[in-house]
Amino acid sequence: MAARKNFMGYVFTAPAIILMLVILLAPVFIAATLSFTDYSLGNSSFNWVGLENYLKMFSRSTYVKMITASVTYVFIVVPGSIVLGLGAALLIHSLRRFGDIYKTIYFLPVMASLLAMAIVWEFTLHPTIGIINKTLASGCGNFPEIFFSLGWLPFVDGSSSWYSTCCREGFPLWFGDKAYTMATICFIGIWQSFGFNMVLYLAGLTSIPRELYQAAEMDGAVKGWDRFKLVTWPMLGPTTVFVVTISTIRSFQVFDTVEAITRGGPVKSTYVMMYAIYEKAIKHNMVGMGSAIVVVFLAFVLLLTFTQRYLVERRVHYS
Amino acid sequence: MIGHATSFSEYMKHIVLIFGSLIVILPFYVMVSYSLKSPHEIATNSGGFIGAQQPMVDEYCVKLGNPPEECMQKPLVYNYTQAFKKAPLLRYLVNGLVVTASIFFIQALIAVPCAYALAKLRFWGRDFVFSMVMFCLLIPVHTIALPIYIMLAKVSLTNTYAALIIPWTISVLGIFLMRQFFMTVPDDLIDAARMDGMNEFSIIWRVMLPTAIPALLAFAIISVVAHWNDYFWPRVVITGDRSLYTPPLGLREFKGDADGSIWGPMMATATVIVTPLIAAFLLAQKRFVEGITMTGMK
Repeated sequence: MAARKNFMGYVFTAPAIILMLVILLAPVFIAATLSFTDYSLGNSSFNWVGLENYLKMFSRSTYVKMITASVTYVFIVVPGSIVLGLGAALLIHSLRRFGDIYKTIYFLPVMASLLAMAIVWEFTLHPTIGIINKTLASGCGNFPEIFFSLGWLPFVDGSSSWYSTCCREGFPLWFGDKAYTMATICFIGIWQSFGFNMVLYLAGLTSIPRELYQAAEMDGAVKGWDRFKLVTWPMLGPTTVFVVTISTIRSFQVFDTVEAITRGGPVKSTYVMMYAIYEKAIKHNMVGMGSAIVVVFLAFVLLLTFTQRYLVERRVHYS
Repeated sequence: MIGHATSFSEYMKHIVLIFGSLIVILPFYVMVSYSLKSPHEIATNSGGFIGAQQPMVDEYCVKLGNPPEECMQKPLVYNYTQAFKKAPLLRYLVNGLVVTASIFFIQALIAVPCAYALAKLRFWGRDFVFSMVMFCLLIPVHTIALPIYIMLAKVSLTNTYAALIIPWTISVLGIFLMRQFFMTVPDDLIDAARMDGMNEFSIIWRVMLPTAIPALLAFAIISVVAHWNDYFWPRVVITGDRSLYTPPLGLREFKGDADGSIWGPMMATATVIVTPLIAAFLLAQKRFVEGITMTGMK
């Protein structure tokens, strides 16, 4: 009987083991190997080029711009979506009624195809027919311009404000002007992902025992901010570690918005890593270079996850 | 008691949250509204939410030699019929359905027995297999798309349904989730089933699976949402053959030649693609939220 159970263990795990080896582990080795070559699909042979691909990545301006774009995106979207996610969760959790409605609404973008919504956003922010620029322009010379340019404050010259300048010179090309494009792409990223973080934080908040708040109150933490600092934030520690990791990994993988709207432009300001892999390795068939990007990318992801695991292990005693 | 919120602060919270909701909903509003409007109303930003629904001339129909009077259509009807006629949207939807369903079916078929073995069977090397699963959990498949693409190209499988499905057949997350769930099933239940003479296959099928429906549903939701919406992988492996396009690829193709008149049908396409998951989510919110947060539990 025991021997038979033993045998079934191998039968049941074998398909999974084989697929893990072929689909997940072999590609990592293939990418690592190809990153030292100048391989292209369709060529029968290739040359070993040593570290050349990696050196290019840190010296050629295209790849430096690629890393800058990816890192910028991550550094804006991760904090943005976490702050908004946590803020929304705290507000909703403290509501007496109707909290579920907001939760549903904020979660909608997580469900929707990002590609479809990217196209809708592009349209919404279209310079001539987009609803945003039309609405902004209709405020020129009216109350909104006066209000937002702060011209109603004493000693403030509103005419040099952002809004008034735009009223004279036209509202931004959100996806055509280098000064705005990255910010707009990040905005869509935050819009899409903060609901996911909110849901995780809400789960974290409901698991905090109420007694802790009562204890904190007895210790003199009466104000909301004190209670947040003393109880909520530390108790949300494990959630935060997870949210930071998963948001970072996902942000590094941004592709849909960039491919559909900007194609890495203008002047490579949104040339993120996933798009670079797609363009260089798959469209231009520079597989060697693409593989080097894959390896660096994977190294980023592994480093992050190991850091997360380490932090979680250290914090286990909290829960 | 704590948290005696005054009604003033309660109002303030609602104001902030409503403001947030408006921004979150804005693109959905634009999408649905413009899928109902005529090109003229879109260009001039008029007509409110649903537009005036004044019958308009279908230019393409006129070009085919029909008199203009016979080519009048309401914008709503025009946009949605164009969405299905200009591109084979129905075909894309069926592709999406076939691909997502096959992916989940195969994932479950492989993950469930593996998870059962890891949770309830004793065999030499089990811990090693589990640590392999844990290690693979670190590798996001999108990051290694390039080498997988090369492997598929080497065996001439690009531009096939197989290419859309194969990389996703192994879900280590699924194995992990199901294993964690099976750990909570009491051993007595399995021992009793063995006493009754059940073999291991029927234990999985008739004992473990029925108890694991909630976990399986969570797994299904995570998988279906990810693959219905996935754009990167189909973009990589489907290069020429339009008949293999998944919904996001089809929509992207639509955008390729966007001019003023095509915005309406394009928004109609987007609406059609986004609606199934949104509707499912609205109908079973709790399950969805639980399913998605499950990925966040250790």
